[in-house]
Amino acid sequence: MTDTAKRTSRPPRVLVTKIGLDGHDRGSRIVAAYLRDAGMEVIYTAPWQKIEAVVKLAVEEDVDVIGVSSLATDHLLLPDLMAALGAAGLGHVRVVAGGIIPDGDEAELLRAGVNRVFHPGSPREDIVATVSHLAAQARATCANG
Amino acid sequence: MSEQPVQLPLPGFESARAEWRQDYDGRIDRDGSLRNRSGIEIKPLYTCEDWAEERYMEDLGFPGQLPMTRGIYPSMHRGRTWTQRQLVGFGTPEDYNQRLKTILAAGGTAGSLIPCNSVYRGYDCDEVELPLLGTCGAVVNTVDDMDLCYRDIGIGELSTAVNDPLPFTLLALLLAVAKRRDVSWSRITGTSNQSDYISHFVANHMFFRIALPGSRRVLVDHVAFCQEHLPGWNPISVVGQHMQQGGATPAEAMALTLCTAIQYAEDCRTRGMDPDVFLPRFTFFFDISISFFEEIAKLRAGRRLWQRIVRERFGAKNPKAWRFKFHAQTSGVDLTRQQPLNNIARVAVQAVAGIFGGLQSLHTDAYDEVLSVPTEEAARIAIATQNILREEAHLTDVIDPLAGSYYLETLTNQMEQEIEATIARIDAAGGMFAAVEAGLPQDMIGKSARVFQEKVDSGQETIVGVNKYREAEEPTTAPRPLERPDQSAMEAHLARFRAFKAERSQAAVTAALDTLARAANAAPGTPGQNVYEKVVEAATAGATHGEICACLRRELGFGQPLVMP
Amino acid sequence: MTDRSAAAAGADAGGKLLERLLDGEPAALAKAITVIENAGARAAQVLAGIQSRLGHALVVGVTGPPGAGKSTLVSALVGELRRRGKSLGILAVDPSSPLSGGAILGDRIRMAEHACDPEVFVRSLASRGHVGGLSSAAARVVDLMDAAGKDVVIVETVGAGQSDVEVAQLADVTVVVCAPGLGDEIQAIKAGILEIADVLVVNKADLPNAERTVAQLEGMLSLRDPGTATVPVIATTATEGHGVAELSDAVEGRAETLGGSARAGKRLERIRQDIADSAAELLRRQLNDSDDDGLRALCRSVQRGELDPEGAARRYLADYMGNKA
Repeated sequence: MTDTAKRTSRPPRVLVTKIGLDGHDRGSRIVAAYLRDAGMEVIYTAPWQKIEAVVKLAVEEDVDVIGVSSLATDHLLLPDLMAALGAAGLGHVRVVAGGIIPDGDEAELLRAGVNRVFHPGSPREDIVATVSHLAAQARATCANG
Repeated sequence: MSEQPVQLPLPGFESARAEWRQDYDGRIDRDGSLRNRSGIEIKPLYTCEDWAEERYMEDLGFPGQLPMTRGIYPSMHRGRTWTQRQLVGFGTPEDYNQRLKTILAAGGTAGSLIPCNSVYRGYDCDEVELPLLGTCGAVVNTVDDMDLCYRDIGIGELSTAVNDPLPFTLLALLLAVAKRRDVSWSRITGTSNQSDYISHFVANHMFFRIALPGSRRVLVDHVAFCQEHLPGWNPISVVGQHMQQGGATPAEAMALTLCTAIQYAEDCRTRGMDPDVFLPRFTFFFDISISFFEEIAKLRAGRRLWQRIVRERFGAKNPKAWRFKFHAQTSGVDLTRQQPLNNIARVAVQAVAGIFGGLQSLHTDAYDEVLSVPTEEAARIAIATQNILREEAHLTDVIDPLAGSYYLETLTNQMEQEIEATIARIDAAGGMFAAVEAGLPQDMIGKSARVFQEKVDSGQETIVGVNKYREAEEPTTAPRPLERPDQSAMEAHLARFRAFKAERSQAAVTAALDTLARAANAAPGTPGQNVYEKVVEAATAGATHGEICACLRRELGFGQPLVMP
Repeated sequence: MTDRSAAAAGADAGGKLLERLLDGEPAALAKAITVIENAGARAAQVLAGIQSRLGHALVVGVTGPPGAGKSTLVSALVGELRRRGKSLGILAVDPSSPLSGGAILGDRIRMAEHACDPEVFVRSLASRGHVGGLSSAAARVVDLMDAAGKDVVIVETVGAGQSDVEVAQLADVTVVVCAPGLGDEIQAIKAGILEIADVLVVNKADLPNAERTVAQLEGMLSLRDPGTATVPVIATTATEGHGVAELSDAVEGRAETLGGSARAGKRLERIRQDIADSAAELLRRQLNDSDDDGLRALCRSVQRGELDPEGAARRYLADYMGNKA
């Protein structure tokens, strides 16, 4: 088992998904495999999830982190997702986004509560370390809240 | 003062080779083994031992002649340059109209209509989240929308690639506009660019609208309809691009594309159509990665394989059926967000590979695609790149100029073998339709994507600015938000859409959709029950894109692609 | 963190989790599963608290070889049971990677149709090293779903040897799914799955060899001892929904035949199995962590060929545990 998995009492649980209209999944497949190989449990969905479906899924699977892949313009829906997660009492769940997300939109996403935006070429170690760190944060917040 | 010239006897081949090998090995301290993306081992040197003149007629022949390696036309680019086809689509139909006019003015010779992702998914503008509308393509749902797209542009004079999956509602809307403008359908030319539902099921899920068996049926109906009514239209474009973008190696992408084409040809033949009539209308669409020689070899090998496939498997006698016509697009996957101006160099190299590979039509990516939807300046540079390669660099002066290169000919033959091996795997799985239902190509592609990514992660494959030659302060272009369509214009468009629906003849639309549903439930091939003919009739009667898609999804099943983790 | 979630988390800490779980609150059910899965401090409290509320749900196990279309079939079955007014819990079990311990849990891909239905609760479970084995962890999760008031709980596993049998042990009704045209599958079924099946499904019945596969299975069933319960063989095309109503009838019918007391008996048997599994796991850990001279001596005895491992185990239990094994 890797260090990532050993540090926490159970493997981080991460939802890897896509919202909106686009269906390109090369990136999300690769990231899901990265996270699995780092000892995490990845819940993987088909693209085009409705926001309410992502919220329901996050509740039922008790995930620590949600990773949203966006290669077209679907990142524009992320502020709505953040609001819906908050309303459902999932404020502790950390959210990262990755894919083709214009620089100029990044600040807006971070303001909406997205914890991190990854761009093409983001190193594997960075993705794994960030998700692992955010998962630990999510658990701590949830336990202390 | 003049030296006495040194006269040496010409060495023998064997001894010269041995000497070179020794010198070479002395200089190479690392393991010199290299493999290209398709897994073929690349030697440091190729000679007449690898490929010799005796093979000329068997491997190459002459342009426009079998085995087609050197190109499908006798004159190739010397006679007629490739078509410069840039993708356009953004915002409302008016926005599209403006951009198309700009591109035509800048030297573009054909249109390529990119609809909004909401259209790709089969929905009308009132069925999706407003913030997404028109952000990556034009919102086109009705015959009025299509009319606006081509305002002041003669649809009979322009070759149009319509990027629209089956049931091809946008072509249906275009035909409705032709009727309205009294333009004969025989003058409508272009391609159904996204007719390859198998590639959508496998690799571009957004485009997959109708369940597999229904898709299979509608495509054959579309081919039959075009054969009868649209002599200038290419109803089938088999797309290798999606699979290569999804991670397939160049050899896999070519093999899976050929397997898909074989499947479609078999389906058409089963319907009773004549291969010598429908095969000349088959076109292909490939991705060109930056793996320069490999891409050239891929395209040449594909051309050689296709003529053999159509002759051996389909008994095609018509020389036009032997032609492997293809559009190519430079690969967006190779472009980097880091140091984005480097992408201009990448696109140029990719484009050269495509040109030397003998393409018929080319799209060059804008360097900033990886940052956002391209800016107009970046789109202009993309077109300029093509103009420079053609007119300044004189790449078109000689046909298939790299032919006879020991390396390229060897590589072309090796790629051909690699492609054939994959075709044999798919044949063994019962053909492409059965293979994709079982997930075999999806699995291959997923694995190849990971293998390549691992090479990048480990630094085995260099990506400048990403895993090598990084710069601490990226002198990137200024941060730019996504260009978003004018919200008030989009809201006005929505209002116009609602008004269109309110004002049309509801009875005519209902009747047309009922007729469509009946045709969908009739046995394939039933006379008078061609589904695509009914799609065109429905569009003409005022049915919207979303209504037609919804009707067929109801009758033939909603398209759920095989998503694999 | 929002006020609401802070309040919810605070309530958890105060021991309200059980109450909310019994009320059927999805977030509480999800948290309780996490607690059980991790064998956390509150696990014992939660498990004790639900015991009096068990036995309502019909537990259906669905297993079969990869590629048989299990997930699509489960989704179709869920659709049919929803039309019959049932609320559902679904537990999808996938293997963990033996190398990293991580897992990709992709069973929800085929559940898109129910993605927003509040009466369908789906949880993915990785088969990571659970105390007492997978069957025990899965059984406890099933109990939680039962306690939360689900009418039907479906457990889906990839049919690969042991997990099939484990599913059968915890399910009231075990459905074994196969697809036509794969010779190996029939072999696998011959090899043992047949004994655990209460209902056999030949999915992808639109494929050419479907009828032959149905006939083969019926042939095999006819060779069993007379008096064994009848096992229906049902042909389905999950993608089209064909045969799914028939499957639902068979599942519900089987539950009725079984009756309440048989199910209660099965539960007791399962609890015994749970205890046995947990004991085995505890013992294994104890031995693995042990620095005991006696154990070392036993190891050497086995190495010298004086004892076989089982003999050594018996002696260890007799000497150190006071066990009459």
